Amino acid sequence: MITVKNLTKIYQTPIRSKNMIKDLFFRQYKQSTALNKVSFEIGDNELVGFIGPNGAGKTTTLKILAGVLYPTSGQVNVLGFSPFEKKAEFLKQIAFVMGQRNQLIWDLSPTDSYLLNKEIYEIDDDIFKKTIRDLSELLRCEQLLDKPVKTLSLGERMKMELIAALLHRPRLIFFDEPTIGLDIFSQEAIRDFIRKFQTQFGSSIILTSHYLEDVKRLAKRLIVINKGKILYDGTLKTIMEKYSKVKFISVVLEKNVSNNLINQIGKPIVNLYPKIVWKVEKKHLPEKITLINRLIPYSDLTVEEERIEEIIKVLFS
Amino acid sequence: MGPLFFLFGKLIRFVLMFFLIFIIFGKTRLIKGYAFNQVVIFYLTFNLIDTITQILFREVYRFRYLVLTGALDLILTKPYHPFLKVLVGGIDFLDIIMLIPYVGLIFFFAHNIPGITFFSIFNFSLLIFNSLLIATAFHIIVLALGILTTEVDHAIMIYRDMTSLGRFPMAIYQEPVRSIFTFVIPIGIMMFFPPQALFNLLSFTLYLLSFLVSLFLIFIALWMWGVALKKYQSWGG
Repeated sequence: MITVKNLTKIYQTPIRSKNMIKDLFFRQYKQSTALNKVSFEIGDNELVGFIGPNGAGKTTTLKILAGVLYPTSGQVNVLGFSPFEKKAEFLKQIAFVMGQRNQLIWDLSPTDSYLLNKEIYEIDDDIFKKTIRDLSELLRCEQLLDKPVKTLSLGERMKMELIAALLHRPRLIFFDEPTIGLDIFSQEAIRDFIRKFQTQFGSSIILTSHYLEDVKRLAKRLIVINKGKILYDGTLKTIMEKYSKVKFISVVLEKNVSNNLINQIGKPIVNLYPKIVWKVEKKHLPEKITLINRLIPYSDLTVEEERIEEIIKVLFS
Repeated sequence: MGPLFFLFGKLIRFVLMFFLIFIIFGKTRLIKGYAFNQVVIFYLTFNLIDTITQILFREVYRFRYLVLTGALDLILTKPYHPFLKVLVGGIDFLDIIMLIPYVGLIFFFAHNIPGITFFSIFNFSLLIFNSLLIATAFHIIVLALGILTTEVDHAIMIYRDMTSLGRFPMAIYQEPVRSIFTFVIPIGIMMFFPPQALFNLLSFTLYLLSFLVSLFLIFIALWMWGVALKKYQSWGG
C-alpha cells in the first residue's frame, strides 16, 4: 500500500541580512533536513503509530504521503500513485485528519459540510446516509449533526470532523494528532472510534500523536522517528523487549520491616508503608524475587514493565 | 443593509467618474481622437472586466490566511483542482448586479457610434474573454507568489492599481509608458484592445497578438503555480 525509499525533505528558510538589496537579489537560505533518507513499507489494513518529538519529521512524512509536500529526493508510492501528482483517483482513497485544522464550515451544521463532501467525493445517496448513520452511532453524536459547528465544544467538533473526513470510506487514513487538546473522555472516545472504524472498514491507518497512550492503545506497529531518521520500526512488544532493561517490583507489606532488610534487596524507589517499589535490571529479576520471598513478609507482589514513555526517551537521547 | 451600502458605494464611484468624463467633454470634443461615446465605452469596458474579475476571483484576497494557517493543506488533499477553492471559490454574487448597468450602458453608447457591426461586437466579446484569461493568469501568479512569499495583499493591490490605469484610452499616455502598458504589462491588451476592436480600429496583427499574449501568460502562471506547490512548506503545522 505504501512504499517509501530514501525519502528526504529539506526545508529552506531565508536568512535575512541587514542589506535589503542583497536580500532581494542574492538571498541566502538556511537548509534544515526534516527527513533524511527514510525508508519503510506499510501494508493493507495496518495501523501504524508514528511517534517522535516536535520537529522529528512525523507530520512532514504524512504530508508527503498525502501529496501536500513535494519530496526533495527519494521515492514515494502510495496506493500505486505518486502522491504529489494529486490525481483525483488517489485523493478519493485517502483522508487526512489534522487535530489542529478544521474543514467543517463554521456557521453551518456538520450535515451541510457533509453534503458538500458528498458532492466532492461523488458518494451515492444510500452509502452517504448509511455512513453518516454508522459513524455517528460509533461516535455517539447523532444529536450534534444539525447544530451549527460554532456552537460545538472542541471534543464534539473533533467527532464531527472525523465523520467529515471519513465519509468517503477512505482506504488510507492519516491521523495527525487527532486527540490534541481534548479531555481524557474525548480522547478515549476518539481512540475507541479509530479502533472500531478500522475493524469495520478495514482501512490502513497511520497515526501520529504526542500522547503515547494513543499509540499504545491503537497501534501494533510503531515507527519511532527523530531528527528525520527512523530509530525504530517494529512491534510495540519488540520495542519493550529490545530496549527495556529494567522491571519494577512492587510489594504491599504485611507488616512493617526495617529499612536494613529492605536495603538488602536494593535501594527502593518508593518506600511508603505499606508499599515498596524496586527498580531492578531484568537479568537480576529472579534472584531479587527469591530474596524478597525469603526476607520480606508481603501480601501482594507485582512485576511491572518499564513504561513505554521511558523507553522512547532512551531512544531519543 | 451592508450589501446595500456596498452596492451604493460602487454606484457612487462609477457615477462620479462618469461625471468627470462628462465635464471633460464639456471643454473639448475629442480626447486623443476619441469622441465622448468612445471614451465612455473604454471606461465601461474597464468596469465590466474589473467587475467580472472581482466576481470570479474574490477568494484570492483570502489566500494569505489559508497559507499562513496551513488550511491550504486540507484543500490540497481534496479530489478537485485547488483553483476551485483558492481561485474561484469565493464568487461574489453581489457584484453580479453591477454587471447589468455596465452591459446595458455599453449597448446604449455603442448604439450611437457609427460603423459598429455584429462582427465587431463578436470581436469585442472575444477580446473581453481574452482579457479575463489575462486577469486569470495575473491572479494565478498572485496565488503562486502567495505561496512563495506569503505575500498576497500587496501583489493584488499592485495588480488593481495597474489595471485601473486602463480606465481611459492608452493613447493618453506618453511613450514609452504606452508600450510598456501594452506589451510588458498587458493592461492595454486587457482594457484597450476590446473597445478598439469594437470601433474597428484594431489591426489583425494586434488582434492575434492579444491571444498569444494571454496564452503565454496563462502558461507562465501555471508554471509558477507548479513551482510554488513544489516549494510549499505547509506552515502552521
